[in-house]
Amino acid sequence: MVAQEAPGRIDAGAEYAIRAADLGVSYDLRFTHKTTIRNSVGQMMGRGQTDQFWALRHLDLRVQRGESLAVIGPNGAGKSTLLQVLAGIIRPSEGAVDVVGHVSGLLTLGAGFDKELSGRDNILLGGAFLGLDDAVTRDLLPSIIAYAELGEFIDAPLKTYSSGMRARLGFSIATSVDPDILLLDEVLATGDANFRAKSKARVIEIVGAAKAVVLVTHDMNWVTEYSNRAVLLERGKMIMEGEPAEVVELHRLHTEESRARGAAEALAAGLDPRIVRRKKKRR
Amino acid sequence: MSATSEVPATFRHAAGRRGPIRLIREAIGDLRSRQRLVRYLVQADVRKRGADTLLGNVWWVLDPLLQMAVYVVFVTIVAPRQTPDYPLFVFSALLPWKWFTASMNNATSSIVSHDQLIKQIQFPKIVLPTASVFAGVASFAFGTIALALLLLFFPSRVSPYLVFIPLIAAVQFVFTLACAYLVAAGNVFFRDLGNVETHALRLWWFLSPGLYSLAALDELQAFQQNPTLGVIANANPFAILFTAYRSVIYGTPTGPATPPDFAALGVLLGVSVVLLAMTTILFKRLEPNFAKVI
Repeated sequence: MVAQEAPGRIDAGAEYAIRAADLGVSYDLRFTHKTTIRNSVGQMMGRGQTDQFWALRHLDLRVQRGESLAVIGPNGAGKSTLLQVLAGIIRPSEGAVDVVGHVSGLLTLGAGFDKELSGRDNILLGGAFLGLDDAVTRDLLPSIIAYAELGEFIDAPLKTYSSGMRARLGFSIATSVDPDILLLDEVLATGDANFRAKSKARVIEIVGAAKAVVLVTHDMNWVTEYSNRAVLLERGKMIMEGEPAEVVELHRLHTEESRARGAAEALAAGLDPRIVRRKKKRR
Repeated sequence: MSATSEVPATFRHAAGRRGPIRLIREAIGDLRSRQRLVRYLVQADVRKRGADTLLGNVWWVLDPLLQMAVYVVFVTIVAPRQTPDYPLFVFSALLPWKWFTASMNNATSSIVSHDQLIKQIQFPKIVLPTASVFAGVASFAFGTIALALLLLFFPSRVSPYLVFIPLIAAVQFVFTLACAYLVAAGNVFFRDLGNVETHALRLWWFLSPGLYSLAALDELQAFQQNPTLGVIANANPFAILFTAYRSVIYGTPTGPATPPDFAALGVLLGVSVVLLAMTTILFKRLEPNFAKVI
């Protein structure tokens, strides 16, 4: 799996967990979404231009071990794309990413492995998807079940679960594998207050074990309280990196600015600004 | 984490195109390290199918028999001249064909239906169409129960050559796997494929000697005037497969079962292996784009 011949390689045994250099991810708009042959042939015959969209570009990032990095920014800033690259799901279009250690991620919420199967079978299937040894998964099974607090539902099919139950199961599986690097996308905001507290404790524990956590969140309290560092992404570019409180402050400012801009535009268009504000909030 | 089977350090770079040999090696490594995953996926598929019906997995045996009955009724009305023991004649082709169509249909949607998972975790996507084909093997195995039941009605047709069925099935397996990788990857980029496939498969079935024998084609006027048609008909992989299955299960209309044409099967195996290598390379080359496109 390790590409030896790749240039710009960083020495193993380094103290960092993640390093990204001039990272860029582009989407070819011709192929995203459901393409039909008719459309793409039409486009190829047409101008032959490539519609490229850079979800992320010129990103330099370094995450040390034991660090908890928060990634914040408005929707469509490239936060989830960044996590997907770190998890190895998407390959960078330019630049390089170096990830040292086992990655475990919980990127999209609540999607189980197979809705028809029971919770128990889902854990086994999930372990197989994550590349765990079957014996290891079976050893972990009791602790995952206990942590997810599913009770007798563990033998019921996943489709009968509430979204909170699914999220708990997912979080429990993702953190049970004792990852070196944990990637979380908006997962702390799920479940009831009890489980939220529990999952926060678990994340703090992982950070404490000198392991790295990269977390995408809109929960600014979490960022200021529990992250060592934060980055602000906007439209695929890193706007700021530094102390959580300062980054959160800048994000707040930018959000207000864009909200004011939106309201002004709406006003110019003859709309009630209050409606616009409400819409923005909901996103 | 020494317990996991994955390589701990990963380094990803935009550049670096991997060669064909390396891609095939990777694919084999992927499947080897994820044997358990393939097995779980097949098990889940087997358990799910028929789970919500009254008769459950009995359908796996019943389904090919009913389909055979439909064709027997249909052909009896259409064709005036009767092939002796026609139910067994049709069934010997229907059994492998059902395996092929089931595998292809499952494989086509195998990647696309796991879109959520593909965006969430990194795993070798090649396990998905592979599991589809293995699930087809399971249904083929159930189908042989139906075959055994059917043979009870035609005791004179039973022969020791039935032991060649696994051998013929092995050739079919390689061919099916090659096709499965192609449609699974293709459907990610062109969702129309599923619609086209349904009709293409149906046409393929009627163009293959399933309801009739290859010998019957030679009697047609078009084939007598144009010998290339005969060559094309004989080169059809399913002409080779159906003929092989039929010779060990049924024999000929007038004679008993014979061993299959090993030379033809050998050629088909060789072609299938080359095809499998090509579609594996194609699949591995397209694989990094799946998460973006889905």
